[in-house]
Amino acid sequence: MSLLDYLMIAIRVAFSAFIPLCFVAVCVWMERRGAGFFQDRSGPNRANICGFRAAGIVQNLSDGLKLAFKEDMISDHIKHKFFFVLAPIIVFFTAVVSFAVVPYADTLVLGGKSYLMQGIPVDLGILWFLALAGFGVYGIILAGWSSSNKYGILGGLRSAAQVISYEIPMGLAIVSLLVVYGTVNLNEIAQFQGKLLFGFIPLWGAILQPLGMIIFIVAAFAECNRTPFDLAEGESEIVAGFHVEYSAMKFAVFFMGEYVAMFASSAIIITLFFGGYQVPFLSTDALISYAKPVAFLLMLSLPVIMYFFAGWIRRSNISHYPRENDPRVVEANVYIKCFWGLILLLELILLIILFCKSGGSATTIFVALLQVCTFLLKVTMMIFVYIWVRWTIPRFRYDQLQKLGWQVLLPLALLNIFITSAVVVALS
Amino acid sequence: MFAEGLFSAFSVLAVLGALGLILFRHPMQGAMSLVVTMISLAGLYTLLSAKLIFVLQLIVYAGAIMSLILFIIMFLNIQPEDLPEETGRFYYFIGGIVILIPIASFLIKIMKSLPGTEATIVGNGFGGVKEVGLVLFQDWLLPFEIVSILLLVSLVGSVVLAGSKRRLSK
Repeated sequence: MSLLDYLMIAIRVAFSAFIPLCFVAVCVWMERRGAGFFQDRSGPNRANICGFRAAGIVQNLSDGLKLAFKEDMISDHIKHKFFFVLAPIIVFFTAVVSFAVVPYADTLVLGGKSYLMQGIPVDLGILWFLALAGFGVYGIILAGWSSSNKYGILGGLRSAAQVISYEIPMGLAIVSLLVVYGTVNLNEIAQFQGKLLFGFIPLWGAILQPLGMIIFIVAAFAECNRTPFDLAEGESEIVAGFHVEYSAMKFAVFFMGEYVAMFASSAIIITLFFGGYQVPFLSTDALISYAKPVAFLLMLSLPVIMYFFAGWIRRSNISHYPRENDPRVVEANVYIKCFWGLILLLELILLIILFCKSGGSATTIFVALLQVCTFLLKVTMMIFVYIWVRWTIPRFRYDQLQKLGWQVLLPLALLNIFITSAVVVALS
Repeated sequence: MFAEGLFSAFSVLAVLGALGLILFRHPMQGAMSLVVTMISLAGLYTLLSAKLIFVLQLIVYAGAIMSLILFIIMFLNIQPEDLPEETGRFYYFIGGIVILIPIASFLIKIMKSLPGTEATIVGNGFGGVKEVGLVLFQDWLLPFEIVSILLLVSLVGSVVLAGSKRRLSK
């Protein structure tokens, strides 16, 4: 094992451990701004550091501080304190680890050695995700049960029954996908989707398996306990459901676990149905051979995008009433200068790529970084879909939820398997 | 060396989980001990290079079956006063140990007579999804189908049982 091997292990593990955690902050911010946008209000716009509000991200910081310094209490009526403390840890841990098998770039070849770009280099792929999704239920059951609280137990029951019953359509949707892809390995699934259908449509799972995609996304929403399936914490009926007895950091761990689960399932949806890390129309080989034109195009387009972005910042970041020496305009100018600095740095990096030997390790690293950025962009869009649905669709009633799972999604998933298998057998 | 350490760790955890299952008084604690045993068994399967069996053990046993058991325990909401009185618990424990001693010594004797081998990861995709599937659907097709019919029979049986109960209550 050379130094490069150790470095690559550290980078990959760090990426798949810390990116979900960083995305917790992004998700919470997007959720609040999204809620504000959909409900036609501003969202968090007061918390600041020396007048800098960073579009509301500072609010997350203050929330984090609040939760960290709150009194962490366990009330006396809770008899099984060990399980009470274990529950949030299970929820958070399973959510983080389920991301570990998702590839965020194609296999990186450096110095004749190839590195699988995922946290745990196993080829179990989607099976690993299913196993850990099953483990997440333990956290919810233990939390609800050990709370010794009517609301807690009701929330735990609802949530566990929901997750267990939606795992079935999810698994069946995955079966029909496996028939199409012929593998459980997520990296091979993503490589499969790099091809083109009829030479101009990306061969994504969404095009090959539209019904499977709908079933899987609905089931993934239910697995994450997100609206319209968030009956586990229906405020109007059972206060906060399974985490009603949790306070301070233990609540925060539940909260973060929910967002990490959202990130992980978005990543899985992207990898299964939307081409994973693949840049649309450009497979990895094509990207490596056209690295220089792509870098040149990026060099040209980045300042243009930044110009319009700066204009948007300037237009949005002003006070809503006339003020002398508007501090928000000053703030906006600082942000725009920071972003231009970032763009300048990116341009320099792209310039280095342009002058490097084509096909060398610099190009492959550039392609991998490009794929990582594509992957994160796609995941962010999927997270936006989650938020969009949450603030648009009202909550189901519990019997409607179970009916949807067992009487609609399950037969549809079975039908999808039959159709898919028939088509695949007919075509081969 | 590392594999041996893992083997001992998983074995100890599996035995501890099994002990916890029979010694804990509350059903929830017993069920959680069984989960520990299931996960350690999955770990032991990986040491035998059986990747697919490892993940199936996690999905089916540790994931699906145990979470249903936990769900039922939570659903019944058992209080300490609902549990039966166990007066002769200590005597049963001693009696069990006395009966187990000859069996255990016999097992240890067998273990010692086994030749020592190195636990290594077998290559060529042994134990992977594709390889196990090929073996299952080519060499062992008939036993596989018979087992699946058995499962189907038990499924139909449980549906019939649940259905007849509802008819009686009407």
